Amino acid sequence: MTGLILFAIALVCLFLGYSVAFTFAGISLIVGALTLGVELFEFMPYRIMSIMENTILMAVPMFIFMGIVLQKTGLAERLLESAAKLFGGMPGGVAISTIVVGALLAASTGVVGASVVAMGVISLPVMLKNNYHQPTAAGVICASGTLGQIIPPSIILIILGDVMGVPVGDLFRAAIIPGMLLIVSYALYIVILGKIRPDFCPPMIVNESKRELLVQALKDIVPPLTLILAVLGSIFTGIATPTESSAIGAVGAVILSIFYGGFSFAKMHEVSKETVKVTSMVFAVLIGATAFAMVFSYSGSEYLIEEFFMELPGDKWTFIALAMIAILILGFFIDFIEIAFLVVPILTPVAIALNIDLVWFAILISMNLQTSFLTPPFGFSLFYLKGVAPKSFKTTTIYKGVIPFILIQIAVLVLVLLFPEYLIFS
Amino acid sequence: AANDKVYRWKMAETWGPNFPIFGEATKNLAKTVKEMSNGRLIIRVDSSNKHKSPLGIFDFVKSGQYQMGHSASYYWKGKNFNALFFTTVPFGMTAPEQYAWFYYGGGMELMKKVYDKYGILSFPGGNTGNQMGGWFKKEINSVADLKGLKMRIPGFAGEVLAKLGAKPTNIPAGELYTALERNTIDALEWVGPSLDLRMGFHKIAPYYYTGWHEPGAELQFMVNEKAYNKLPKDLQKILTVAMKTAAYDMYIQSYHESGKNLATLNKDYPNIKMRSFPKSVMTAMKETNDVLLKEFAAKDPMTAEILKSIQEYQTKVRAWTNLSDRAYLDTTDPK
Amino acid sequence: MKTSLKIIGKFIDMLGNFCSLLMVLMILNVFYDVIMRYFFNDVSIGMQELEWHLFAAMFMFGIAYTLKEDAHVRVDIFYDAMTKRKKAFINIFGSIIFALPITLLIFYYSIDYTLDAYTMGEGSGDPGGLPHRWIVRSVIPLSSLFLVLAIIHVVLSQIQILTNNDSSNTTKHEGEH
Ligand code: NA
Ligand code: NA
Repeated sequence: MTGLILFAIALVCLFLGYSVAFTFAGISLIVGALTLGVELFEFMPYRIMSIMENTILMAVPMFIFMGIVLQKTGLAERLLESAAKLFGGMPGGVAISTIVVGALLAASTGVVGASVVAMGVISLPVMLKNNYHQPTAAGVICASGTLGQIIPPSIILIILGDVMGVPVGDLFRAAIIPGMLLIVSYALYIVILGKIRPDFCPPMIVNESKRELLVQALKDIVPPLTLILAVLGSIFTGIATPTESSAIGAVGAVILSIFYGGFSFAKMHEVSKETVKVTSMVFAVLIGATAFAMVFSYSGSEYLIEEFFMELPGDKWTFIALAMIAILILGFFIDFIEIAFLVVPILTPVAIALNIDLVWFAILISMNLQTSFLTPPFGFSLFYLKGVAPKSFKTTTIYKGVIPFILIQIAVLVLVLLFPEYLIFS
Repeated sequence: AANDKVYRWKMAETWGPNFPIFGEATKNLAKTVKEMSNGRLIIRVDSSNKHKSPLGIFDFVKSGQYQMGHSASYYWKGKNFNALFFTTVPFGMTAPEQYAWFYYGGGMELMKKVYDKYGILSFPGGNTGNQMGGWFKKEINSVADLKGLKMRIPGFAGEVLAKLGAKPTNIPAGELYTALERNTIDALEWVGPSLDLRMGFHKIAPYYYTGWHEPGAELQFMVNEKAYNKLPKDLQKILTVAMKTAAYDMYIQSYHESGKNLATLNKDYPNIKMRSFPKSVMTAMKETNDVLLKEFAAKDPMTAEILKSIQEYQTKVRAWTNLSDRAYLDTTDPK
Repeated sequence: MKTSLKIIGKFIDMLGNFCSLLMVLMILNVFYDVIMRYFFNDVSIGMQELEWHLFAAMFMFGIAYTLKEDAHVRVDIFYDAMTKRKKAFINIFGSIIFALPITLLIFYYSIDYTLDAYTMGEGSGDPGGLPHRWIVRSVIPLSSLFLVLAIIHVVLSQIQILTNNDSSNTTKHEGEH
């Protein structure tokens, strides 16, 4: 019950427009102190410490730094523009190159916040300059920036592997085809959109000859491609862990900016301050969310969910359907890590009892959680993008923009649900 | 009446929810206590997904935020070095030997001495049994092969290897598989067949070495002393008996799971090479270990006292192990 | 009020610069560790731990700076359409009702948390790890203090907006979009 009250009040208060992080934390304190006593918050230093010690999260600021360097030095813009021009007079060229770059980033990191922010600073300005339909631009960025969630290496798969007791390697392998399917579906959507509403994703004006274009594109693609190769390469060769590869990316971006112009100490100072702001914004939300989750969990709200699933008739498909719906709905409100830790442990024993293949189930959950990054009002990707978009860019624009992509996500999820034999490597 | 009063306790555990074996020990304890006390002592177990601080258990119990905790004593080495010795020591006692030390050889008294000043009562919390030396990408044939070996091996054992030229490396658990697969590290140790299989290391590392560094890792139940003293005498007794049976149960469950998983491993992954470190390596590690222990003992009289107790007891009880189990195995089931 | 606003603002800007420095150091730290491990086969657990110490201090202190810079994310569906006065009310209300109490409470509880590590002389349990765990723990109470300053800064500056508008009725909508 307390959990429900908490949701309701937080929902209303968030719309006041005060900062999400402090609204989360403040409401949690008020509701928590009244129902459970203020001593509960003695746990906060521990919870904050566990975020501070989470070395996997270190990748977030470093990938953000990399993204902002690429943006401020114009390297990213040039890549996207020439890539888009290469797609010719085709509508949606920039969007498709965004999806491709997003997929590449996804394969190099498992950190959604970092990819969305990087894509936000890199490709949003390019799309806006090309008179893109604003919601579509936002939707493409959020969706392709969120791909890192399912395409290995991915943090959520690592967490699910741990929580469900499934080897992470199996999950990584199983996620490949569903991830590809998502990328293709996004691109397909843009192609179709380009046919129906070319004004939403106008083609770039191309004056240069094909030859000139190709040369230019080759030139522009070299620096960022080097960077992506360095990041990916450092992981594949074992030079760095996925987390550490973000430092390679950050240092690499600075080196590239020296070679390709645009480097100055003043600019680096700007980049660092910008990185601090975006990072602190993200982690403040995480701290607010952990206060929220603490009150939710200590008030015993997850036991209500547990009871619900225990009383279900023992039918596999009913269970899966309800589990998916429950995660989808919770995903509107709670952070994916909290869902993975609070709800998945409840579902796993039931799934085992019903003889459900855990790898498949984990992939379904991770795709569902990926959707939660996109669902308003609290989808993290939306916040991340909002954090780096120009001040005039409205939250509602982003909300509108992600809807088609959420629908695509759900469609692909249903496909994986229905045809696991074709879509899951095991 | 006073006898009807229901005590509601909370226990924080280091492990995540549904964590096998370790997590079952705590559930077991709660269930036993509830049934034995006829519902008068109820213990709610909070896993790390709830309290979010796997290594905060000591602080939780000390401050009374939780009345109880389930963890391992060597995690508190950074707070009090002497806590290290109540889990396991490289080249130390096996689980049965160590249990004998705890309950009849003065171990419990020493543990009480260490934990007293924190207002924490510490009890054995279940044993993993002999842990494996770890998964290696390369074979270890000599001490020279340890040079520059990047291995995830935390704590004291890491220190021993570091002295021999290895490079203990910190990798978060979630990235261990990737790090080993891509040779970011060359080796890692986890537990044993009981818990290693779910991590998938057998798919990426060909060598599985037998143990030396954690011959009988004992987990730990911690109880806040003030909370304990508030319990009526019979509930105190129920709690301590239940902890003892839960610990024993975890030990035999570990044994069972290891046996079962080893069979799976042998059947499904016949190419895994089970190895023991060569004698030269073992000798070097043992010597380094002895030197380190001497250094520790020189620093703190309490450490010296604990080590003296452990070493004397081990010498005595090992003679019996040799004459009983070792002789039995050698004569009836020679390798 | 204006001078105190200025002083606090200056201080928090300095804090922001400090965080930028920590951030750069963190990147260099991780990069250095990777290079040393791969090319020189040298691993220092102390240096590995320093990574997250820098990381933690950077974002924790940065929360105050981010607040002063108004860069914490908002759900701005209605907020964007509000007048400056209404926005000021929301910000003052939010600061005092939502942000301040939890910040003070975290400050209060984290003092003991830090002192505990200090009195126990807690350090890393790993070979070559960093001693003095209380230093990184003290990031929590310190960052709470900085955050209180930033909250005061927000409240004062928003009060200024309100009073400015009151004293100059004729130019009431000046500066609004
Ligand atoms: Na990824
Ligand atoms: Na181990």
